[in-house]
Amino acid sequence: MGLNISLAPEVIFHIGSFPITNAFFVSIFVTVIVLAVFLLIANRFQTVPTRFQALVEILFEEAFDFVESIIGNREKAKRIFPLVFTMFIFILFANLLTYIPGQAAVTLKTEEGVMPLFRAAMADYGVVFMMTMVSVILMQIVAIAVHGPFGYLGKFFNFKGPLDFFLGLMDIVGEIAKIVSLSFRLFGNIFAGEVLGAVMLFLAPYFIPLPFMFLGLLTAFVQAFVFSVLTLVFISMASTIEEDELVEEASI
Amino acid sequence: MELINALGLNVKILLAQLVNFSVLLFVLYKFAYGPILKMLDERRDKIEEGIKNAEDAKTKLAKIEMSEKEILSDARKEAQKIIVAAEDVAKKNKEDILNEAKKQSQQILEKAEKNIEQEKNKMMEDAKKELSELVSLATEKIVGEKMDAKKDKEIIDSVIK
Repeated sequence: MGLNISLAPEVIFHIGSFPITNAFFVSIFVTVIVLAVFLLIANRFQTVPTRFQALVEILFEEAFDFVESIIGNREKAKRIFPLVFTMFIFILFANLLTYIPGQAAVTLKTEEGVMPLFRAAMADYGVVFMMTMVSVILMQIVAIAVHGPFGYLGKFFNFKGPLDFFLGLMDIVGEIAKIVSLSFRLFGNIFAGEVLGAVMLFLAPYFIPLPFMFLGLLTAFVQAFVFSVLTLVFISMASTIEEDELVEEASI
Repeated sequence: MELINALGLNVKILLAQLVNFSVLLFVLYKFAYGPILKMLDERRDKIEEGIKNAEDAKTKLAKIEMSEKEILSDARKEAQKIIVAAEDVAKKNKEDILNEAKKQSQQILEKAEKNIEQEKNKMMEDAKKELSELVSLATEKIVGEKMDAKKDKEIIDSVIK
């Protein structure tokens, strides 16, 4: 019995020339599950709630109020809430899927060997990178919409003095660092959790891996939360106009 | 490049992932968040309205209770007045009736007394007449002789008196 750890997701089959990796398969699987769950819940909604509906509503309202408390404005919150909440739910479901017993045993035989059908979706850098890009590009769009194209560029290319110029260039580095920090935090945590779990199962199959699995469950939730909240915070930062900026504009 | 290969990044799959995520976001936004948020807002409005209505009803009720009390006290006062007035009237009536009755009884008494007096007088007169006749008859028998009627009467009258 060998320990099989691969950084990249395994290609399980091709549709034409399009390679389907197990991570992609899982993310579609998760999408279907999330859609099914939410559409079922939303369809059953009625004005006088049942107990289950009341619970869902409380969670939903708390999530919305939390978003509102960070972004500070109900209208803005209504616009950004769907994206952030979808990210949270998607990541959470994808992370929790790996805790369904038995799914790790499902494998496919391909020409390249035996591949597991399921893989923690967030342990595929592609999925994480895609979501990170969505959130980072959205930050830039929001910043441009709020500050105007020249205000946005002026933040990075500041010719008022050597120090300002240097700080502006640092801001460019900061934006790129956001991509790296956001994506690798999530990817690293989940991938490390997967690897740790696999190693522990390999070394001692009974009982010993349990604490690590609990830790993994915690990570599954926390990382989903951290990723979506960081997205929210970055977007909220991009959407606010600093006071000195206002003074600057007024002086012009 | 090596890192990209190691991580298994593939533009085709990235695009597919993006489409997948967008579909998820769009469908959830359209069919889950939208309706749920709308309903929560509606419910919030409804509850606010309900609370407001309840408060309105409460103040209205208090007002009605106050006016009810006022009306009741007014009615009580009015009733008291009416009772006092009625008592006054009754007293007056009673006095009137009593006075009337006294008067009438007085009158009746007077009338009766008068009648009695008259009767008595008449009786006396009748008696006198009869007596005088009797006396004259007796005297006639005793005396045996009929005196002059006129003289006789004079004598009898003087005797009786």
